[in-house]
Amino acid sequence: MREDKIKKTIVCIGMVFCLTFCLFPFIYMVAVSLSTRADFLSQQVTFNFTLDNFRAVLTNQSLHFLDYLRNSIVVSLLSAFFCVVVASLSAYAITRLKFPGKMYLLFFALAVSMFPQIGLVGYLFKFMTKLGWINTCQGLLFPYIAWILPLSLWILVSYFSQIPTELDKAALIDGCTYWQSLSKVIIPVAAPGVLSVFLLSFIFAFNEFMFALMLTTDYKARTIPVGIALFQGLHGQTPWGNIMAASVITTLPVVILTLVFQRRIISGLTRGAVKG
Amino acid sequence: MKNMAENRIEEPGMLTHRDIKSACLFILPLITLIFLFILVPVIGTFINSLFQDVSFLDKKFIFLKNYQQLFSDPGFRQALKFTMLFILVSVPLEIVLGTIFALLMNADVPLRGLLRACVLIPWAIPAAISARTWELIYNYSYGLANFIFTRLGITSEPVNWLGTSIGAFGAVVAADVWKTTPFVAIIVLAGLQSIPEEIINQAKVDRANLLQIFFKVTVPLIKPVIIVALLFRTIDGLRVFDVIYVLTGGGPGGETTSISHYAYKYFLSGDFGYGSAVSVVLFVVAFSLSVIYVKVGRFETGQI
Repeated sequence: MREDKIKKTIVCIGMVFCLTFCLFPFIYMVAVSLSTRADFLSQQVTFNFTLDNFRAVLTNQSLHFLDYLRNSIVVSLLSAFFCVVVASLSAYAITRLKFPGKMYLLFFALAVSMFPQIGLVGYLFKFMTKLGWINTCQGLLFPYIAWILPLSLWILVSYFSQIPTELDKAALIDGCTYWQSLSKVIIPVAAPGVLSVFLLSFIFAFNEFMFALMLTTDYKARTIPVGIALFQGLHGQTPWGNIMAASVITTLPVVILTLVFQRRIISGLTRGAVKG
Repeated sequence: MKNMAENRIEEPGMLTHRDIKSACLFILPLITLIFLFILVPVIGTFINSLFQDVSFLDKKFIFLKNYQQLFSDPGFRQALKFTMLFILVSVPLEIVLGTIFALLMNADVPLRGLLRACVLIPWAIPAAISARTWELIYNYSYGLANFIFTRLGITSEPVNWLGTSIGAFGAVVAADVWKTTPFVAIIVLAGLQSIPEEIINQAKVDRANLLQIFFKVTVPLIKPVIIVALLFRTIDGLRVFDVIYVLTGGGPGGETTSISHYAYKYFLSGDFGYGSAVSVVLFVVAFSLSVIYVKVGRFETGQI
């Protein structure tokens, strides 16, 4: 039984280390956002609580923070939605219909998902300029969908292939079309998987940086990661309080999403990376 | 459509024209989107890399001249060196830490769900935003890093994190390890959960101690998963961009410029030909690695 005790102690120390490691930047972010001065760790300065930073980011129109946030949410929600729809259609075809070369399609998608973004962003910029889509939400939306699709496809194929084929075969015998057997049988049965894909696609689109950096120029389409990265303030000195308040407002929904859907996110990620 | 269904059921196992036709319809949106917004840009980048293509100048076909220039470009060599060094240091750290976190997440502890969610948080937050927090952490006069380092007496003087080459390298690695360890942990956790409990119990019956169980039983069983994580992280590390763009801007003096960031700087200044050539080199390296990844990671699981 001595071993059990050692194990317990190790696990306890490990837990404390793990939690500190993962959370301290986030806690620091919150602390700075609630402080009157960002340099409260200096010896002469004390921590004074304030909500001014939040007030500033939420009400000061010239910072365009809410515009960035709106762009991000709109683009990410739409990307996630279209990813789920398009990937479901393909995953249905791959798992339920007979056609040659489906394995090639899957591995092609996998290879695409590993492309470095820098390998397409230069030409994409020219392409979008020709279309007149620079600094528009659709100019981000389409590359985002295409970019996230391969992973969504892999995860959905993994979920769909676990549903017994008898279920949708029965639907087909009852006179359902393929489309109906997908939308009325497979998707409801695979709902947890579909939710995982939606959440992951949303997170990927929300966190995307390079496309947004290259393809947007101002608050009309710029997303929040780029907005915060380029946030310089109006008066020269870096307004850390404002930046951290904006960061907290942006990450809080993501954090809550993660806390609530931890199981779904982990299950999706695992299927995307390991099981296939 | 109804006929189609009957057709399929009457002839099980046969390729039918209608099946193929509707399969095409179902995969068409995916193919179109990936073709237009991924493949066309990639092919375009390949073609552009053969041109002298600078904004406001005439586009000129120069075949491999851009690549020739690459070989003698000290800036590119520096970027290559940094990217390799970055991978060599950060990926092993991520694998070790990720495995430790996975073991904890797999242990039978109270509030396990909460622990898992907390580990996910660094991964879920946009990299550009967490990098901004790290920028403040590394602030010379009032950042958290120097506060901890001087208070604990690790260094007597504050460290100039982002202004020196070693400091900036460490800063980038730490921020990246923080961000990506959760991903490794999740992958390894999946591997741990697939180990049958009987094997561990049997080892306990045989009086193996904790370390023996870990190194002789667990590690060999999760080796495939660790290789997958290793390859995945290496491919991802090759294209590192966000953290560097925000945290160091490639500085000081180009010391932390990754290949992606190097190419980006050329795109930004309007030199699309040369920037494309840099991207193509990265693309080819990443692509060859991903071919290995596909072979190692997936071909064994012929599920579908």
